[in-house]
Order: sequence, then structure tokens, then C-alpha cells
Amino acid sequence: MVKAEKKRKELDTGKSEVLQGTLDLMILKTLHALGPLHGFGIARRIEQVSRDVLQLNEGTVYTSLLRLQQQGWIAAEWGTSENNRKAKFYSITKRGQKQLEVEAENWERISGVIGRVLRLESER
Amino acid sequence: MSSRRESRLRAFAAKLRGFLRGPQRDDEFDEEMREHLRLLGERFVAQGMSREEAAAAARRQFGNTTLLQEDRRELQTLLSIEASWHDLRYALRTLWRSRGFAAVSIATLGLGIGAATAIFSVIVNVLLEPFPYKEVERMVFPRIHNVQQGPEGGRQGYTATEVLEFAEGSRSLDGMIAAFGDVVLYKHGEGTERLDAALVTPGTFEFFGMPALHGRVVQPSDYEPGAPPVFVMRHKTWMARFNGDLSILNKPFVLDGTARTLLGIMPPRFGWYAADVFIPEKLRREANADSPPYWFLLGRLKPGVSTQQAEADLTVIARRLAKSHPQYYPAHFTVQVKTLLDSVVGRYKPFKAMLYTVLAAVGLLLLIACSNVANLMLARATAREKEFALRAVLGAGRTRLVRLVMVESLALAMAGAMLGILVAWGGLKSLVAAMPPNLIPSESVIALNAPVLTFALCVAILTTLIFGLAPALQASRRDVNDPLRDSSKGVGGGFRGRGLRDALVVMEVALSLTLLIGAGLLMRSFVAQRQLDLGVRADHVFRTALVLPGDRYKTAEQATGFLRPLLARLKALPGVVDAAAASAIPPYGGAESKTEIAGKTHPEEWQTLFQYVSEEYFRVLRIEFKEGRAFSEAEVDDARRVAVVNETFVRKYSANESPIGRRVRLGKLETAADAGRDAWFEIVGVVADLRNRGPHVTIEPEVWVPYTIPGGSEANVLMVRTAQDPGTMMDAVRQEVWATDSGVALAIPGTLEDYISEALYAGPRFGFLVMTIFGCIGLILVTVGVYSVLAYSTTQRTHEIGIRMALGAEGSAVLEMVVSAGLRLVMAGIAVGMAVSLVLVRVIEAQLAGVTAYDPATLAATTVLLTMTAGIACWIPARRAARVDPMVALRHE
Repeated sequence: MVKAEKKRKELDTGKSEVLQGTLDLMILKTLHALGPLHGFGIARRIEQVSRDVLQLNEGTVYTSLLRLQQQGWIAAEWGTSENNRKAKFYSITKRGQKQLEVEAENWERISGVIGRVLRLESER
Repeated sequence: MSSRRESRLRAFAAKLRGFLRGPQRDDEFDEEMREHLRLLGERFVAQGMSREEAAAAARRQFGNTTLLQEDRRELQTLLSIEASWHDLRYALRTLWRSRGFAAVSIATLGLGIGAATAIFSVIVNVLLEPFPYKEVERMVFPRIHNVQQGPEGGRQGYTATEVLEFAEGSRSLDGMIAAFGDVVLYKHGEGTERLDAALVTPGTFEFFGMPALHGRVVQPSDYEPGAPPVFVMRHKTWMARFNGDLSILNKPFVLDGTARTLLGIMPPRFGWYAADVFIPEKLRREANADSPPYWFLLGRLKPGVSTQQAEADLTVIARRLAKSHPQYYPAHFTVQVKTLLDSVVGRYKPFKAMLYTVLAAVGLLLLIACSNVANLMLARATAREKEFALRAVLGAGRTRLVRLVMVESLALAMAGAMLGILVAWGGLKSLVAAMPPNLIPSESVIALNAPVLTFALCVAILTTLIFGLAPALQASRRDVNDPLRDSSKGVGGGFRGRGLRDALVVMEVALSLTLLIGAGLLMRSFVAQRQLDLGVRADHVFRTALVLPGDRYKTAEQATGFLRPLLARLKALPGVVDAAAASAIPPYGGAESKTEIAGKTHPEEWQTLFQYVSEEYFRVLRIEFKEGRAFSEAEVDDARRVAVVNETFVRKYSANESPIGRRVRLGKLETAADAGRDAWFEIVGVVADLRNRGPHVTIEPEVWVPYTIPGGSEANVLMVRTAQDPGTMMDAVRQEVWATDSGVALAIPGTLEDYISEALYAGPRFGFLVMTIFGCIGLILVTVGVYSVLAYSTTQRTHEIGIRMALGAEGSAVLEMVVSAGLRLVMAGIAVGMAVSLVLVRVIEAQLAGVTAYDPATLAATTVLLTMTAGIACWIPARRAARVDPMVALRHE
């Protein structure tokens, strides 16, 4: 039932849900590319990059950040945001950069495979 | 996949951190989310929405905050509270449904945990934390060790001068006190009583850091010259002699002729020097006549100072003292510094070994209990196979299933622990009653205190892991589809836990046999000791020591002047058969002396025990004469130089010829003050040996001489043979003593039987009693274990048995099948247990007397006992199986 609901939602908006596990990769890459950011900034960046293709529950950014922190891939620090409010800034760690390389390569490989498989389907 | 393991480990560490750090992280997370929502809202407002619309849109875009919180909690908490609570409720419900199983498990665990807790409590309070004093681990005392003697050679008593020299000269000690044990006579309206006193030097109570329970302790001003005489009383004495009467505080007591005011009562655990009363005494350097070296020194090491450093420090002082007081120092000596705690452990060494033996026994018991419950749980897990498979199919993860079983186990263990604490509480009461009183430090109070309760809780958690883990893993391991498909309880099928269960039964039987053999050996040893003929008939004898005031009773004549009329008075009492006086408590043999026999030459020095007795002594104790006769009344009255010797004396020094008429010399008497230098005695009789050094110790030669002999003023033990129960004689005897001289006190009055039983047998009896109780508990647990396993497996095989019987198997054949299956396990267990015991008996070998560690009778008897009990446990389920109605069994499915 839940699934059907989601389906309908996707059809309504024309957006895809973020694939499980890919959010972590996107956040890592974002932090790698842009340097320290707070949660809101990360969500804006992903929104901007995905150009409204992806449907993102922005709250899940925070659980993802927590998970990445626990693995030691990113670090967090309290700071002051552009409009002078207290905010938590996240930055990628050395270990996180290594992980990013691994994951990115992994992703390339899998998406490559999936792409080939899909092409195979349509050729027949 | 090591990186995956690593990442899991990190996640676990994070959970642990979250668990330890508590709810503080919650707020940060909330704050971040609120800020995000606010920013999103502002953005939507900027795009032209109204505030409400913007807030709603922000919430939509952000997602469900409650769900996020749950995700976060899942990431940061070890066990989700809700799930645990749910598991616990579920566990309690399932346990309630199988009440029989739960009751048996809880009772089993309760017995195991209770026994372990009780014994642990004894060990903590007696061996690990016997003293309640401040910084007791730094309390040390010096010993002057004579290098030419064994490890025990030397002294730990000092003269007043030495004490002062050590106290003032030492740089390694933070404070030093001294104590001197003395007997004081307490004179009251009716008569005189004996109290054990400790003379204590200034600073003693501050040193121990214990204030008085009532009143106050001795203060520095009480030591000043001219201060009124005072003293402090021990709690135990206050309760026993004065019924805890507070009105005696600040009242004067006449102690050794001095009126002293009672300042205070100490707390129950203050038992320094095992004294009844503590009397302040200031040490002074005596110019020429120094007091004998009787003061015990106790110091406290400065923080960070080792005993070796203190030894070096005190050696310097001792070397100096050895020059000025050469009579107190051997030619070659060292100064040893020992801690008070070690000394306790050393002093109670045999009892300590006994306690650790018992602790080991209790450990075995606990293991049996655990394996019993594990067995029951395994059986249940097998029966619940389908339930677990269903849960797994519906998506319960492996951890979740393990957790479910573990929570159940934990609930059982906690209930068991609660029961166990009750068991320990009751058990401790009887343990303390059976405990040999002289074998534990007087400061020890055996009770259920915080460390003991913590121990019980830890044991409960540990047992959960031991008995719960195997069934839990088994429950979660199975293939999901297998049991669901397997709908028939066919031949021997369906239960894979069987091997594990059988192994547990074998282990249980083995452990129980080990326990039983230990108990059996200790029991045989105890019986052997009791059966040993001590050489005296102790029944119907009342005995007491007398404390004669030293100023009025200096010579044997003076003592005789008191004892002779007293003995006559006692003999005239109704119910008294006879009365005697002696200088040692039977069966012990008194003082040692050099000896020789007239006309016999010998190269080595001859030693004998000797004691002074009245003529009735041999009659009262029913000592058998082998030759000759006892002293006559006239001989004793005239202090004639006659002697009676024991058989060992004749065998060793008279080469088995009759010694009657020969003369024997007691060298010790020549040095006695009023002995008159004549130490030669004519032997008039030979008596059978008494165990004059205690049971199982070689008998020494012994000589008895009349107590009227000059030098014999030490005949202070009174023995009264009675027609009725000697325990009832106490008041009558005391009255006669006080009627003869009201200044004489009775010490340790009681029956001779009680004394012998306590002094000689209390230790062995305690060990054997406790081991026997644990052996019996073990036997019961094993019976339950064997029964439950067999009962379970026969129930599982009802279908199979039905088929067998339908095909013509006789009931007796079924009976045999089940019994033999059970007995096979028992026999395997006995074989293992026998092997284990043969190794483990070495542990208790040192405590055995009169029986070897490999006593065949004990091994045979315990094996038979265990086999028979286990046989009954097998027979009951077997009989039920043999009565299975084939039709019912087959229709059962």
C-alpha cells in the first residue's frame, strides 16, 4: 500500500526518489567539492544539482550526516552561518575522501553495468 | 570484507557512545532540524507564500520529523527501549504460559545463585575485607626474625622501650600504636568475672579511625598523669554480658582492683586484639627493669612507602636496640614488615583453604544449575522451532530472535537472583551458626552487604550468558523453511538440539559426582577424626578455668589452700560424681620439660609433657591404668614426689620395661621459684595414652604429678563429673567457687564435650556439613536435569513409541529402551566425573585426615548413590512411555 502511494506521488511530481545509499555518496561529493557546509546548504546544493529530477525528503540529509559522522568520513563543528545564526558545519575527512573515491568508482562501475544491461534489453 | 566489519564496528561504537552520553545529542539534532525548517520557510515566503503555507510546504519538503528521530535513535542507541520493553512483556507472557518450566528454572537458578552468594559473602567478609579500619591495607607490624630458625622463628612482641624507640625513630611509618593483651578480673556485687583486656597506647582509636557507637573513645587527655582511670568496651561484650544496657555508660567498674569509668561502647565491628575492654596505658622507658617483650606493634606505612623500605628503616633501629638489649635479640636476625591483612590470611590458612574448596564446590553447583536450565531451554527451543521459523519468515532478524530468547533468559535469571538472595539470606544464618568461631577474625561480620548483592546480580547476568546463549543461537540458526515443512514428529526426528542436551546431562552428572566425592571424603575424614579415641571420656564432664588473683595466690601452697576446700565443696553438690583439678584442658598435655630416668643414660636430650593434677583426675576422665595406681589422697595432701606416666613415655624412655618404682626427673621444676630444687619423682602408675597434642598428631611422652608440689600453682582447670547434664552445673559451680573466694573468676566455663567438639572438630565439621549440603543440592539438581531431559525426549517420541507398540513391542521393552538411553548418559557422566575427581581431590587432600584421597569406599558409595538416584529419574518417564496407548499416540498427530 505504501508502495502504491509512493508510485502515485512520483507520477504526480514526475520526480524519482533518492536511491537508498546514494544520498551518502551525494553528500560526500558535495562536501568534497564545496568544502564545509551546513545541512541546509547541502540540501540546497543537491536540489540545485538534481534540477528537480530527484525528490528529496530534506530531513533524511541529517540522518545521513549522522551516519557518515559515525563512520568517521565527515567531521562536524558548530559555527556561525551567513546570516549570523548558530549552525553546524560539516566537512569531509581524509578517510571520507578515500571512501568517496571507492564509492564513486563503485557507482561508475555499477551504473555502467546497469546501463549496458538496459541497452541489451532494448536492442532485442 | 574487512571494511564492512570495520564499518559495523564503528556503528556499534557510535551506539555505545550515544548510550553512554545520554540524551544530550537529541537537542543538537532537534535544533538543526528546526533551523532547517525555518530557513526553508523563509525561502518559501520569499517566493511569495503566506506564512502558514510556507510552513506547511517546508514541513512537506523536509519530511516526517518523528520518523527521522526514530532513525536517529536507531543509529545512536544500543537497544531500542520500546523493542526491549516489548520483548520483556512478551517474555513474561511466554514464561507465564509455561509456568512449570519457569518455576523449575527459577528454583534451580535460585539454589545455585543463592549458594554462590552465601559463600561469596563469607569469603568477602572473612578473607577479603575482614577489617573495618581506616587505610587497613597500609597497616603493618614488624617481626624480629631469627635467621637460624624456620620461617616462623622469631618474635613480634616488644618491650616498652623498644616500642618507644621504634615509634620515635621510624621514618617510614605514619603512626604507630602498641597493644598488650591481658586478663583482668572484674569484681562486682556477686563475685568476680574474667575479661580479656587490651592495654592500648595513646592514639590507638585515632589510628583505627573509628568513633565510639555510644559515649566516646579514649582521648589524649585520658593518658595524662593523674587523669581518672577509664576504659572502653567492645560491642559484643556489652551485648553478651550487659544485654546492651546503656545505663552502664559512665559508671565505674572495678577492674583488677582499680575503679575505672566506662567511657564508651565501640561499634560492632571494632574487635582490635579480640579484647573485651580497652584500657589506656602510656608507655614509659623503664630504667633498668624493662617489661618483658609483650607489646604488639602496629604501624601505618606512609603513602608510597613499600614494606621493603620500612624493613630497611626499622632494621637500623633494631640493630641499635640489639646492642643495648642483647638478651632480646638472637645472634642473626632480620626485621620483617608484614601487613595486617596478610597476617590474617596466614593465621586462618586452613580455614581459608576450606572456604575456597567450598567456593569451588558452589561454582560446580552453579554450573549444574545453569546446564539444567540450558537443557530445559534447549528442549523448549526445539518445541518452539516452528514459532521461531514463523517469526523469521515474517522478517525478524537473527539479532532480534537471539534477543528475544536472551530477554527470556534474563527474566528467568533475575527471578532466580531474587530467589537466590533469599536463599543466601537464610543460608548465611545457618552458615554463621555452624562457623567455627575461633577461625575467623573477630572483626568480621558476615552479612549480605552491597558487594555481595552486586556479586549476586553479576552472577545472574553471567548465568544468563551461560545458559541462554546456546539455546538462543540454536533458535536463530535454523533454516527458515525446514521446520515449517517438517510437520510430522516422526521417528527420532525434529530435534537437533539433542547432542547438546545430552552433553549437558553428561557434564551435570560428572560435576555432581565430583561434588559428592568431595563431600563423601570430607565426611569420612570427619567421622574418622571423631571416632579416634582421645583417651578420655569427655561425656558428663563440666570444666572451667579459674583465674586466681595473682597478688594473693603466688605459691602452690596458697593455691592448694583454695582448691582443696573447693574440690570438697564441689563433690558434696547433689548430682556431682567427682571433681578434679589439673593444669591443662584434656586431652592436651600441659607444659614441656627436659626429663631423665634414674639409672638410664642416653646421648640425646629427652623431652616430656607434664602437668599437675589432683588425685581424682584419672577417675574423673576415666583414664585407664595399664600398670600401678593413681596418687592417693595422702600423697597429694603431703605433696609427695610421685608421678604417673603414659604408655608412650614407657615405650620411648623405658624400653618397654615396667617403670614402676623408678625415678624420673623433670628439669623444668628446678627452675621454678618455689620448687625446692628437688625434681625427682617416683613413678607409681602407667596410664593409657591421651591424644595430648590433638587428634592425628603424634602422641608425646607425658608425666602427671600432684598439684600440691611446690611450683604447681598452675592447676587452674576444674573438671566436674556429673550424673546429669553437665551443662546445668554452671551456676552451682560458680556459686561454690565464689563461696570459697569471691575474688576468683571463672573463664570459659562449659562442658568438656562442647569444648572438644569446638576446638578439635569445628573446622572439619563445617567443611563436611557445607559440602554435604551442596552435594545434596547437586544431586537434586541432577535428578531434575536427567528427568526433564528424558521426559522431554520421550514426549517427543510418543508417536514413535506408539508405532513400536502397535507393531507388537512390549511395554517392558519400551521401558528398557528409555531407561537404558538415560543410563547411558549417566554412565558417561560418571566416567567423566570419576576422572575429574581423581584430579581434583588433590585440592582437598590437605584437609583429609584418617582417609586417603582415593578412598575406594567413598568412590563406590557416591557412584552407587548417584546411579540409583539417576535411575529413578530415568524410570519415571520410562514408565510413562511404557503406558502409552498406541491408538492415542497415533491419533495424536
